Amino acid sequence: MLNVENLRAGYSSVPVLHDVSIEVGAGEFVSIVGPNGAGKTTLFKTLSGTVPAMSGSIRFDGHDLLAVPPHRRPHLGIAHVPEGRQVFPSLSVLENLEMGAYTEAGRRSWKENLKRIYSWLPVLAERAAQPAGTLSGGEQQMVAIGRGLASAPKLLMLDEPSMGLAPTVADFIFDRLMDIRRDAGLTILLVEQRVAEALQFADHGYVLETGRVVLAGDSRKLSADDRVRQAYLGM
Amino acid sequence: MATLRSLTPLFVLALLYLGVSLLVQNSYYQLMLTLVLVWACFGLSWNVLSGMTGLISFGHASFFGLGAYTTVLLANQFNVSPWLSLPLATLIGAAAGLIIGLPTFRLRGHYFALSMLAYPLAMLYVFEWLGYQEVTLPLKRENAWAYMQFDDHRAYVMIALVMLLVMALLTRWVERTRFGMALIAIKQNEAAAEAAGIDTLRWKLRAIALSGAMAGATGSFYAVVLLVVTPASVFGMLVSAQALTVTMFGGVGTVWGPIIGAAFLIPVGEILHAEFGARFPGIQGVIFGMAIIVVILLAPEGVFWRVRDWLRVRHWWRARPGGASPPASAPAAAHAEPTHANVVSFARLRPVSDEAILEVRHLSKSFGGLKAVHDVSFKVRRGMLLGIIGPNGAGKTTLFNLLNGFLTPDRGEVLLRGVDMGGKAPHVLCQAGVGRTFQIMRPFRRMSVADNVKVGAYVRAGSEAEAERLAAEAIARVGLSAIADRPASGLTTKELRLMELARALAGQPEMLLLDETLAGLGRQEVEEVLDTIRGIADEGVTIVIIEHTMHAMVKLVDEFVVLDHGAVLVEGRPDAVTRDPKVIGAYLGKKWSAHAQR
Amino acid sequence: MTEPQILLEGFLQALAAGLLVGAIYGLMCVGLAMIFGIMRVINFAQGDFMMLGMYVAFFILVGLGVNNLFGATIGPYVAILLAAPVLLLFGYLIHRLLISRVTGARTAGLEGEGHYAQLILTLGIALVLQNGSQVLFGSQLVSIRTPLSSAAWEIGPFWGDFVSVFINKGRGLAALFSVLAILGLWLVITRSRLGRSLRAAADNPEASTYMGIDVDRAYRTAFAIGTCITALAGGLLATNYPFHPFVGLEFVIIMYAGVVLGGMGSILGAFWGGMTIGLVQQLSTLVLPTQLQNTAIFVCFLLIVILRPQGFFGRVVERT
Repeated sequence: MLNVENLRAGYSSVPVLHDVSIEVGAGEFVSIVGPNGAGKTTLFKTLSGTVPAMSGSIRFDGHDLLAVPPHRRPHLGIAHVPEGRQVFPSLSVLENLEMGAYTEAGRRSWKENLKRIYSWLPVLAERAAQPAGTLSGGEQQMVAIGRGLASAPKLLMLDEPSMGLAPTVADFIFDRLMDIRRDAGLTILLVEQRVAEALQFADHGYVLETGRVVLAGDSRKLSADDRVRQAYLGM
Repeated sequence: MATLRSLTPLFVLALLYLGVSLLVQNSYYQLMLTLVLVWACFGLSWNVLSGMTGLISFGHASFFGLGAYTTVLLANQFNVSPWLSLPLATLIGAAAGLIIGLPTFRLRGHYFALSMLAYPLAMLYVFEWLGYQEVTLPLKRENAWAYMQFDDHRAYVMIALVMLLVMALLTRWVERTRFGMALIAIKQNEAAAEAAGIDTLRWKLRAIALSGAMAGATGSFYAVVLLVVTPASVFGMLVSAQALTVTMFGGVGTVWGPIIGAAFLIPVGEILHAEFGARFPGIQGVIFGMAIIVVILLAPEGVFWRVRDWLRVRHWWRARPGGASPPASAPAAAHAEPTHANVVSFARLRPVSDEAILEVRHLSKSFGGLKAVHDVSFKVRRGMLLGIIGPNGAGKTTLFNLLNGFLTPDRGEVLLRGVDMGGKAPHVLCQAGVGRTFQIMRPFRRMSVADNVKVGAYVRAGSEAEAERLAAEAIARVGLSAIADRPASGLTTKELRLMELARALAGQPEMLLLDETLAGLGRQEVEEVLDTIRGIADEGVTIVIIEHTMHAMVKLVDEFVVLDHGAVLVEGRPDAVTRDPKVIGAYLGKKWSAHAQR
Repeated sequence: MTEPQILLEGFLQALAAGLLVGAIYGLMCVGLAMIFGIMRVINFAQGDFMMLGMYVAFFILVGLGVNNLFGATIGPYVAILLAAPVLLLFGYLIHRLLISRVTGARTAGLEGEGHYAQLILTLGIALVLQNGSQVLFGSQLVSIRTPLSSAAWEIGPFWGDFVSVFINKGRGLAALFSVLAILGLWLVITRSRLGRSLRAAADNPEASTYMGIDVDRAYRTAFAIGTCITALAGGLLATNYPFHPFVGLEFVIIMYAGVVLGGMGSILGAFWGGMTIGLVQQLSTLVLPTQLQNTAIFVCFLLIVILRPQGFFGRVVERT
């Protein structure tokens, strides 16, 4: 479904990603792990178009993604749940979800989508009228995920959903993600610092370090590989 | 000597201008020649504040108008000669600058620009209300020269020329000294300026006082030349716009900008006005407006910089094959190039005393409901190299900003040599011997490496010469002597990081706070920067470094403080920390440590 | 009339005038809030957009014969309404051709230098519009007269035979139209897909892109709507207020004062901000000479910006 080949990308002529290749098949759950500064967020932003690609190719669902302007990409079925949540603070929770349904697909299935989102994340129904900026970090993360789901995506990209959250809240969010995947059969691409959780449920994993893929393969094998620890802790 | 030589073009041009103006007989053209100089002066005044600090003033008419009214009212009511009232107007302009600056400098960006616009407009209506709709300078028959009234209008050109030269020299002086360095530092990055030990509010107040003085003098002279003053003609928005227009057009932040701008725009405007003014009143404003639009789209910083950058590039290309030989700073280069290439990776024998240079006690900081830093305590012993690490969102940056004075703690103490510095302004900390670098580099692009570093030296240096010496030493310590004269705009990421380091070192700190100095560097570059940092530590400077990449850090530091969720998770030596299940859990997830032990 | 009666009547009259003129100021401010609040573009030409709205309405009224078609009473309002789409297009083009080059998603994260260019560019536009209008239309005062402007409703008397408030019919109608326009805009902003996309783009341009919103187009739309709304306010003001090419200068600070007072980014806040400015202006005449009306506004503005930059209705502090 998503095929990234030899991607080089970065900010103002300084590349952050060098020669990154990644593949995500339909229905798969793929995790990208790696220490801070490895280029995980840059990779996501390049997929969404807010960081320009310098060379390489990105194909999604039969489209050459680099030829599609950034604001059209969500309409192809890509939902990006960005790092740091980035909810619309002055909009209510419900309005945030409505913004997610800005895509054609999201509008078509808005009613049943909203019902499903509320059933996965009931707290959103309770807070529907509250401005999203006044919620706690965990609740904002749920808004961001719900907003992504509201677009009725084919591919859900999650950038560090556990960042800055207390461990129990992060666990709760991971559990919900597993429910969502099981119920909706979504294709998920996850970027996470916390390797164990990220690899636990994934089919495949990639380890990114200083802008390069240094390890890839079956997630169970990766979670037993001490080189992953070294990539993080240096020794 | 160098200063004198750089002024030669200015004097030559002044002489030429004088020559031309002596030849001109037509009094209309003489007036135009005078006005070019007047608006150039006004542009220079604007430039000292807005061009140099980057705080845009839309209200320079306040100072201009006060100067003009000082002169006409004193002449009208008390028969005071402009020779006396002009200096007085200068003082009033300076005072007005201070009075306006003090409250308004609390604002930045949009708000600053908007509020500055409000001052002259408020004054405009006050002067109308006071009944000064149209005040004329009384004509003197006898002793006219004593009242600055001349039959030969060339005298005005000469006075204006002297004023312009004085203001240009003042601007040059500002540019060359710590005054200008401080202002440019503020423009580029106010936070970095504070961290380099610059009391930003004080320098901004000095700038607006000087700027106000220049504008007051200019306004006063303008009244003498035109003989009639109305509120709209000196407080109006067009007057403020004029200062900005000539400077923006010619070039911001340089003495040449306003001069080029005035020399081009004023005659064009006047001629248009004379030719078409009767048929199309306002054509002058249309042309001015279009000039501004075109300039901002094509050469956003003005004609001067466009041309100079273009010349520089050409010059540089031509000079390249010959090899750009860096003159000056040769003695510094001699003992440059640090020789730490073969330092053993870790377990160095660095003398670390037991004395705590910095002690953090129960430090807490919350944002809204989020506890970013919670009850953090640790000690930094003199001479040690301490690493503060932790996963994303652990509170590293918040802790760092609490240490360097950019944030005030909710609770707890930051004891520097036993004195609580919590919440003290960054420049105070810098003066107390704490230097810092920034994660996001904001070099002063047009300045050379040497000048960039010099900004950091003023906090210790008593004189320009000493500042230059300290800067040269610091540059040598990081190994950048060979490129000390290059403008910062052409440096690589590594060189910029080292330059930042040098800037912090130039203030001769006892302790350095480094914020992600290794971010964005390649493997080899990381090694080189690490060597430099080790070298600085070996010379006895205490270093606290924040990083999120562990690799480099394990080879660098003596001890780690690991943060997670805003609290200290573990403290200790690198080898112990990287094996600690709690640390592994924090970085790779709790479950990792569980199955890793299987 | 006794002394307290005179005082009371003066106060009520100023209060009524403040409310009426405040409603129009409120509409102006809402137009600016669309631009300043949503895009953080300081538009110095906003006052001149308003001036343009006045002239366009005037020429539609006189030049296109709307006056003869609809009569002197209704005609002006029809002309003002017809001027709105013209200014909508004008705002769209100004953004597309000029403003977008120094603003938009590209420079949203740019501090300092990006704003610098916007400030100066709009100053240039303001100069061209003001002086260009002087070249084209001359500098004599014109107005969009309606007979309603010289008629008034009397409310009262409240105290025996005295203390009545007179409400100018022209002003009353203009205030009513202002309130209606704001209600309409408020509905669009909160209820429609377009409005929500504008608010999202204002809140977080990057996340908006992830939602599939074309942020540059949203900015362009907001700029056009903001121009149109302020021009509409200008037209309504002109039914009671003779104008000239430099009229915008008098109002640009009023607009910014209102927007800042209302809290940046808040549409309804901007309306109340403008209303407050109207009241301050009119009530100040009770204690200050009329020439100092505007000085009172400017001083009021400075006090607000310096002491309470988040405004009275805003939630977000954004001083730096």
